[in-house]
Amino acid sequence: MNGIHDLGGRHGMGPIDIDPKQPIFRADWERRMFGMFILAFAGGHFNIDQFRAAIELMAPAEYLESGYYEHWLYSLETWCKANGSLTDKEIDDRMRKLSKGDA
Amino acid sequence: MPTMFPAAGVDELIKTGGSTRVNANVKSRFAPGDKVLARNINPISHTRLPQYIRGKTGVVDRDHGVFVFPDTNAALKGEKPQHVYSVMFTFRELWGAEAAEEDKIYIDLWDDYIDPVK
Repeated sequence: MNGIHDLGGRHGMGPIDIDPKQPIFRADWERRMFGMFILAFAGGHFNIDQFRAAIELMAPAEYLESGYYEHWLYSLETWCKANGSLTDKEIDDRMRKLSKGDA
Repeated sequence: MPTMFPAAGVDELIKTGGSTRVNANVKSRFAPGDKVLARNINPISHTRLPQYIRGKTGVVDRDHGVFVFPDTNAALKGEKPQHVYSVMFTFRELWGAEAAEEDKIYIDLWDDYIDPVK
């Protein structure tokens, strides 16, 4: 797919961060996202190519404005919703709960 | 749903980043040193052939072995295992005469992404 993810050769995206000391996870939720990926992948919710393909279906502006692990979350939600193991309502309910500080 | 991934493979998964290398006996169409042309394909579905090398000529540097083909695997249309090669493209080929002569890039390409150059 000729999507916004295929950035090779494009100008104006800023320098690539090659600092070897940069943190592996920039926030604790990113660490948890990594764990959720392992569990969902191991659980057979998607194969690795399906996982990448779903990320490419993000809206272009959303893709550019969001971080690496947000892309992962998007794909994980996409496939778990596709196979019925997760619903939009469950996500919304959980977000409402968390926004009230009741994690 | 795809096949269950064995829990015992989790450590390996983290180490390899979900490699799709497969132990299949598939003939390689190319060898190191072969000149190849990246296909100009534009599928609306998943592909790992970058746009900026389509229609460009490179040289096979090495053969990585056999891997699942992402374009079909992403659509659950079969694994279509095939060789993946590291292919060298000069910056002059990709970006034109003003690019530095010595600069080059190596891109991993599945067998189905390239054609021989006579």
